[in-house]
Amino acid sequence: MSGHATIVTPTPEGFRPHAVAHHFKTAEQEFQAGKLGFWLFLATEIMLFGGLFAAYFLYHGVYAETFRVGGSTLNWHLGAFNTVLLLTSSWTMAMAVRASQLSNRKALIGFLSLTWLCAAGFMVVKYFEYTYKFSHGIGPGYFFAPEGHYAELFAGLPFPNLYFALYFTMTGIHGLHVLVGMGLIAWLIVRSSKGHFHSGFYTPVELVGLYWHVVDLIWIFLFPLLYLVP
Amino acid sequence: MSKPSHESHESHQSPDTHGHGAAVVDHTHHPHVCAWQTFVGIYAALLFLTFVTVGVAEPVSGLHLGSMSMVVAMLVAALKASLVMTVFMHLKWDTAINNIAFLGSLIFLSLLFLFTLVDHSTRGEADPQAGTPAPYARQAKFVDD
Repeated sequence: MSGHATIVTPTPEGFRPHAVAHHFKTAEQEFQAGKLGFWLFLATEIMLFGGLFAAYFLYHGVYAETFRVGGSTLNWHLGAFNTVLLLTSSWTMAMAVRASQLSNRKALIGFLSLTWLCAAGFMVVKYFEYTYKFSHGIGPGYFFAPEGHYAELFAGLPFPNLYFALYFTMTGIHGLHVLVGMGLIAWLIVRSSKGHFHSGFYTPVELVGLYWHVVDLIWIFLFPLLYLVP
Repeated sequence: MSKPSHESHESHQSPDTHGHGAAVVDHTHHPHVCAWQTFVGIYAALLFLTFVTVGVAEPVSGLHLGSMSMVVAMLVAALKASLVMTVFMHLKWDTAINNIAFLGSLIFLSLLFLFTLVDHSTRGEADPQAGTPAPYARQAKFVDD
């Protein structure tokens, strides 16, 4: 191979060719380097949420009654519905990555759009859950001033705001990740429609897919902890 | 976990040079494509396990599992997470280094949980000498213990 030749990946008819960055020797090396970097980023995401889960387990053990009362004020139907939405979006994302590997542009755009819609549905449910709690004086930390029957429920409990401090922090950071994911998926849809992703180059779809599955993984643990375990 | 094949340089001169000099087509990357039936199966299993974890939960079933409810919920969640990781995230077919990078984070996570648990469960057993003045003596316990 000549020293100045551009390395491109195999490009099916009607798609944009991808030029391998000059500091990589092969397309496979570029793909694997990008993926390893992304797995390391996902490891830091696990540690970010891991600290919050450690705090949850510790305080759940010490202030069991506060957590039992806090959890009982959540509607598990909404949590279960959101779980189904995120699991569905994880499946459609896996199918989207597969469509990109097969250079199926229509299926890729379709599955990415379904993933985006499930994410949007999740955030709509979260919006109604949050505003309902806020309207009853249930906010994070300093903003915890329960009204009406909530005031009676939490009366006399040690550190009554502890459960909701963790609830809002954990679901809040998770919700931010969902919003970031929606932005990334929208970006993928735009680029997919321009024919950027195909069997020869689909790294961005693969990596956003991995990110989205981690968002799902976190929720798989958040749902039973916050809504179901007394 | 099997390593994707790394062919050494399979490439050929492209006839289509787009007027930018010689372009070399590199065929080293081979996508691992899963059967769609596999993804549907995993999706169905995830929905079933969600149904199970909701069904046995105290607020839904009225079962009083006590401290076991946390154990059951976390075991089912771990099973769901492993399905997502191995198949949806392709770890089963990914390189050893990517498996190590991600599973390594879970090992460090378990260290965090373990030492937090050991700290809490041994509070008050390793108190400083009797007569240590407040607030130091109090620090060994939670405020309202």
